[in-house]
Amino acid sequence: MQVYTTDTPAARSGRIKVGIADYAISGDESTLTTSGLGSCIGVALYDPETRVSGLAHAMLPEADGGGEPAKFVDTGIELLLSEMRAAGADIDRVVAKIAGGSTMFDFTSADGDGSIGDRNVAATRATLDGFGIDVVAEDVGGSHGRSLELDSETGDLRVRSAKSGNHVL
Amino acid sequence: MNLDVRSLRTFSRLAHSGAEKAAGSLTTLAGIDTYVNVTKVELGTKSDVENEFAERDLVSVHIGFSGGLDGHTVLAFSPESAERLVDALMPGIDATDAEGELAESSLKEVANIMLGGFIDGWADYLDTTVDITTPTYVDDENDGPLDHVDAEGFENGGDDEHVLVFRNQLEAADNAIEFDLYMVPTASSIETIVEASGEDGALPVESFAAFSEMINDGANQASEDITAMTGIDTTVEVSRLSFVPIEGVPMSLTDAVRRGVVLEFSGTPSGYIAILFDEPSAENIASSLLPGMEGDEAMRQSAIQEIGNITTSGFLDGWANALETTIDISPPKHVHDIGSAIIDPLATDLAQSQEYAFLIDSTIRTDDDEFTCDIYALPDETELRKALKQLSPVA
Repeated sequence: MQVYTTDTPAARSGRIKVGIADYAISGDESTLTTSGLGSCIGVALYDPETRVSGLAHAMLPEADGGGEPAKFVDTGIELLLSEMRAAGADIDRVVAKIAGGSTMFDFTSADGDGSIGDRNVAATRATLDGFGIDVVAEDVGGSHGRSLELDSETGDLRVRSAKSGNHVL
Repeated sequence: MNLDVRSLRTFSRLAHSGAEKAAGSLTTLAGIDTYVNVTKVELGTKSDVENEFAERDLVSVHIGFSGGLDGHTVLAFSPESAERLVDALMPGIDATDAEGELAESSLKEVANIMLGGFIDGWADYLDTTVDITTPTYVDDENDGPLDHVDAEGFENGGDDEHVLVFRNQLEAADNAIEFDLYMVPTASSIETIVEASGEDGALPVESFAAFSEMINDGANQASEDITAMTGIDTTVEVSRLSFVPIEGVPMSLTDAVRRGVVLEFSGTPSGYIAILFDEPSAENIASSLLPGMEGDEAMRQSAIQEIGNITTSGFLDGWANALETTIDISPPKHVHDIGSAIIDPLATDLAQSQEYAFLIDSTIRTDDDEFTCDIYALPDETELRKALKQLSPVA
């Protein structure tokens, strides 16, 4: 987890764990993983030519000035992209796969502007659109949790869920 | 002594960055990618901490520190994790045989490097120097893990006195090695850090201790109610109050599938509660409520909802009494999903208005492991502080 720093330990074991309000990139054959997405959203980005990939796990749609940037969809994606660019990715080639953003409970606080899950999905589309990045596959919404594995070699995003089993995006 | 949210945040940040240094040194030393999973500032009693060590058969290495800060740090492993770590450090050494001494000394070496890095971060923050003692290896056949902490605890007291414990859960990337890094500073050292971070709306530590006792009472009541309902004896294994970065709340759970209920409570404080069982536990508890019946899924769900309801009211009623308020509870919503994903929306909802959370977690279990029930409560931070004020001795 990188709550207070953005140093990613050098990957040796081939698996890089992305915490909540966290992101990581990979320029080799590592697998990026993140678990326990409920209303949170997972954003997997992949440059098919350089095979630089990145995975972010954001909690809330928009940064309001405070807190870790990786906690929010807009600032999290921005950070992830800038690290991918530094690692050799070309933003014009980068494609996105997104998963998460479910509405598991009807909380009283969700009155009005929709559930946090829905707002996370909308913010993700808007932010990616702003960078001209296409969403090529998605598994969003619903009322169940998800865990993700991004294969940096192929760009495959494996989605695991307790209810609908495993599938690959 | 007073504690406030700002100093709790300082503690949390220091502990987290210290733990990252410690994880980084292990990555360098052993070539094992190590991550800090969650950093918690916990308020519990000395006996709570000792029970946890005993329950999990932890193997640990202790290092004392003194100078600008005084206290104790402990690196604790499950025996399996210790074995895997030794194997990674010294391939071919069997940790369980006569060469155990070698394993012991390599764990001590790891602890020395990791805990040293951890303490350095605190010393830097306080602009002071801290000396560390040589490591002591402790396994479950030796003394209690906190024996050395005697008279160095929070209130300098006996087993029921509260201690402030910094607990960092670390794990290797492949989940094969997990360990906890504990730090227990002395009361005067806590004061030193509180002073350095500046007090702001501080509450006497007694309020936190009173609240922590209230949580214990609530857990005991819930345990009694579960026993009355199922006819199976249960005990409270652990019950604690911790202060964690909000994103650390779901990360306290694994992605194992859990079944249970989620409820919303409102009053002073309001918040969320989740009562979760692992799948075998849920199965056992449902059968004990539906004796001799081949219950269908709908019946099992309603049995789980019923037990969730009873547990929640047992857990929260005492709070309402102690705080002289009413706490309303929503109908229970049945959940059956990835554990961390169940808690994620609860933490995320609170994350809209707070960066840190008070997490209350209790575990109730039967003696024969027939079932284990985990209770997670997440009160709204501002409202909880209001409630804590009422518990202040001078209020």
